[in-house]
Amino acid sequence: MSVTKPLPHDSGPLHVTGQARYVDDIPTPANCLHLAFGTSSIARGTVTAMDLDPVRTAPGVVAVLTADDLPFANDVSPSIHDEPLLSVGTVHYVGQPIFVVAATSHHAARRAAAKARITYAEEAPILTVDQAVAAGQYFDDGPRVWQKGDTDAALAAAPHRLRGRLEMGGQEHFYLESHASMVAPQEGGDVVVYSSTQHPTEIQHKVAEALGVPMNAVRVEARRMGGGFGGKESQGNALACACAVIAVKTGRPVKMRYDRDDDMTITGKRHDFRIDYDVGFDDTGRIKGIDFQQYTRGGWALDLTIPVADRAMLHADNAYLLDHARITSHRLRTNTQSATAYRGFGGPQGIFGIERVMDHIAHTLGLDPIAVRQVNYYHNMGPVRAGKVSGNTTPYGMEVRDFILDEMTEKLLADANYADRKAAIADWNAKNPILKRGIGFSPVKFGISFTLTHLNQAGALVHVYQDGSIHLNHGGTEMGQGLFQKVAQVAASRFGVDVSLVKITATDTGKVPNTSATAASSGSDLNGMAAKAACDTIRDRMANCLAELHQCPVERVRFEDGKVRVGDNEMTFEQAAATCYQNRVSLSATGFYKTPDLSWDRAKGQGRPFFYFSHGAALTEVVIDTLTGENRILRTDIIHDVGRSLNPALDKGQVEGAFVQGAGWLTTEELVWDDKGRLRTHAPSTYKIPACSDRPEVFNVELWDGENPEATIYRSKAVGEPPFNLGMSAFFALSDAAAACGPNYPMLDAPATAERVLQAVKRARG
Amino acid sequence: MYAFDIERPTTIADAVAALGAEDAQALGGGQTLIPTLKQRLAMPSKLVSLTAIPELKGVCVADDGALCIGGGTTHATVAAQAAAHYPALAALAGGIGDPAVRNRGTIGGSLANNDPAACYPAAALASGATIVTNARQMAADDYFQGLFTTALDEGEIITEVRFPVPDRAAYMKFQQPASRFALTGVFVAKYADGVRVAVTGASEGGVFRWTEAEAALSADFSADAVAGLSVSSNGMMGDVHGTPDYRAHLVKVMTKRAVAAA
Repeated sequence: MSVTKPLPHDSGPLHVTGQARYVDDIPTPANCLHLAFGTSSIARGTVTAMDLDPVRTAPGVVAVLTADDLPFANDVSPSIHDEPLLSVGTVHYVGQPIFVVAATSHHAARRAAAKARITYAEEAPILTVDQAVAAGQYFDDGPRVWQKGDTDAALAAAPHRLRGRLEMGGQEHFYLESHASMVAPQEGGDVVVYSSTQHPTEIQHKVAEALGVPMNAVRVEARRMGGGFGGKESQGNALACACAVIAVKTGRPVKMRYDRDDDMTITGKRHDFRIDYDVGFDDTGRIKGIDFQQYTRGGWALDLTIPVADRAMLHADNAYLLDHARITSHRLRTNTQSATAYRGFGGPQGIFGIERVMDHIAHTLGLDPIAVRQVNYYHNMGPVRAGKVSGNTTPYGMEVRDFILDEMTEKLLADANYADRKAAIADWNAKNPILKRGIGFSPVKFGISFTLTHLNQAGALVHVYQDGSIHLNHGGTEMGQGLFQKVAQVAASRFGVDVSLVKITATDTGKVPNTSATAASSGSDLNGMAAKAACDTIRDRMANCLAELHQCPVERVRFEDGKVRVGDNEMTFEQAAATCYQNRVSLSATGFYKTPDLSWDRAKGQGRPFFYFSHGAALTEVVIDTLTGENRILRTDIIHDVGRSLNPALDKGQVEGAFVQGAGWLTTEELVWDDKGRLRTHAPSTYKIPACSDRPEVFNVELWDGENPEATIYRSKAVGEPPFNLGMSAFFALSDAAAACGPNYPMLDAPATAERVLQAVKRARG
Repeated sequence: MYAFDIERPTTIADAVAALGAEDAQALGGGQTLIPTLKQRLAMPSKLVSLTAIPELKGVCVADDGALCIGGGTTHATVAAQAAAHYPALAALAGGIGDPAVRNRGTIGGSLANNDPAACYPAAALASGATIVTNARQMAADDYFQGLFTTALDEGEIITEVRFPVPDRAAYMKFQQPASRFALTGVFVAKYADGVRVAVTGASEGGVFRWTEAEAALSADFSADAVAGLSVSSNGMMGDVHGTPDYRAHLVKVMTKRAVAAA
């Protein structure tokens, strides 16, 4: 069977030879126009005068549009229509598009856009958490509170109590391919859109609104992205809509791609968070009661801030059974880029909060941080399934039935030789006054499903041609993660053929409609199942035809090893397909899947929002220089749960990349806005993502040998987001190294740049 | 970029003549100037490229033992050819930017620009180098005059830099991780008549000498000699990559590292 094989990424050879085609690689049609936005230079205010004549008369300029020139909807929001494509006179952040220039080249458009003369009536921007709280700038009608038990009583009765604050920065997606769209106008006002997007249906929907046409007049095609990470879930709408409007207006093809600085300045990023905690616990570190206040800057428009902040609340427990918990979420409106989806979608921020609490409790009690985590773990899957334990529920009332972190943790600690290494590190630190080592652990339990329940659906379209070759299409998008190969492996397995017979094709709203974003780690779960359903429909039709022809029971028709066995007869899949065609069997089918057993009441914060949980655990060792705060990751060991892996090579790659990206978020990646609201880190010269040389020198990644107890595609589990959280082990290792310098808890914040590590060392020393 | 003319003379005399035109600007390796032009932060009428002048290029040793480097010599050439004579200087050149910068950028260009986070000014100042131009010779102590400011006159070209070779020396740079510019860099050079310590990347006034450390190290050339000293954060740069306090702290740490490595 093709599934479970560690096949390489289907586009690997195309990636490394440069043949893989991205939007900007599509041969540009003759007469194509290129767009650039003119953007706001202030964070908050009103446009009082705008002279665009210098833009219009610049070389190569064909058209300049402001909000008044748009034919229909002026909105690119994925949620509540609060995000105009072009400003309607007020501006809300530095970088907000105010007008769009169409010119004969990319550079002509950018140069022309810089020539606008705009004057503003400036207002004081709201930039920080404190400013937004003081001004009452809330999304979602104020703070949201979900709770379980009686938190105040539990806190009051607990033997120990601790309060603290954790600040964590946002994160730029830094996909290697920046945003890009191209629109080819068709007859009768229709358009075809090529977009670098995780959500072709959303692009179709917003382009249709912008053109004032039904969705059937817009077809969106997306072959691949050069990275998405959530940054292409909603942020591509502006480019596609601008291109479509101008394509229809001029009758010419139109392309737009963001320059890197423009991309970083205009588009949203991961939500930064402040988390205040108040926790009561006993002598073993077991949490009796906990109160979280989560504050996040959502930026100027709503975008996806509500579900992101919800997921932060839904992961405030991470892997720990909390009997009494209250989680308050403040979703704040600020004059910055509209923060958006980013791998983990708020989950990592929520998890980071309680992981800091675990670390802080352990330091306070002088206990091993891993032991404190273990006493707080949810009960294991075994006893729960056997009905021996009750009350193994999350703060939102979902029973945890598949928890496996006890065994995973034990195995990781044994394989990575934790106890000996911890002792060796202590010895080493005692002898070395300047360099200090630290070791950190972080587990993850991550909920899989879209929390907006209706999004948990997917479709596929499969054709078998008369020569036995297979055409596969589904609603998922390829952003480098290997989804297409995994789904192709599913299709090949259903037909019992080699994966090379399956042609992987671009995501296309004309083939599979009404898709959800490829997000929430759900790509393989949803699209794998939909493709399976389509393949099985065709296979069953073929089996019925062949059984009848050969006068054998249909149960005796088997598709395996590239052959079709019909009773005692055997033929190639190609012969079987030809025979079925000649016997007038439909060899094309759609497939559909919706995740079962979900129910979620968001208002109450109660229900079963997730189909299952994915687990992982990481142990990381670092060394810091206590004179400068410089640091290196020396070794990381990971065990991660992907159920029965569809493709261990791709899954391992996802785990490795996710760890590095997660560690980058918490260490070197720092977003800095100045007091005017200008993002000062908008290029690789100022914003440091991890490079290949920043990965751990020793990097052991193992996939947990298990299977999903839920009936997912071949019992696999989602992999995209959960291992991102394992980067936290690097952060807690840095904190541990700083703690080796003195008696105090270092209270390290993120990102742990060298300077912050040095400050943490000083706090530890006191 | 705004429009400009470009000339590529082959002698220093022709270059000086070409730079006599109004708003003419010398162009070395272009690693700073070209991005500046692209951002339209400068509008020269004419660029005079110095890359075709043989007499500006090369590394040699003078009769008095000084290492002489032509103003148009690239960082990569210095890294390769100075290694046998002045290893600390060669190492500094080999750690500037990335390969593209090192193969285009020149020592004369770097010193003429005097970026507060550039590496070469620290080497020139700590070595007590002599800056030779088409018109005169200047001591490094007189040459650096603050952020992006030098004693060069309009149209004056750095033809050569003469480095007295110290007994011991080292350059230690704390890299800003994204750009690899010096967040703080310290060059320590020990000569028979004393120690010189120059700091780049840290001060709002550009490269400077840390004279207290020089006195302490002249008496006792060991990392411990500066242990009791401290650097004030007054006048240190604060930006997105580091606070004034952090930079002041790094000056001392990098100095000790340089002494240890020298």
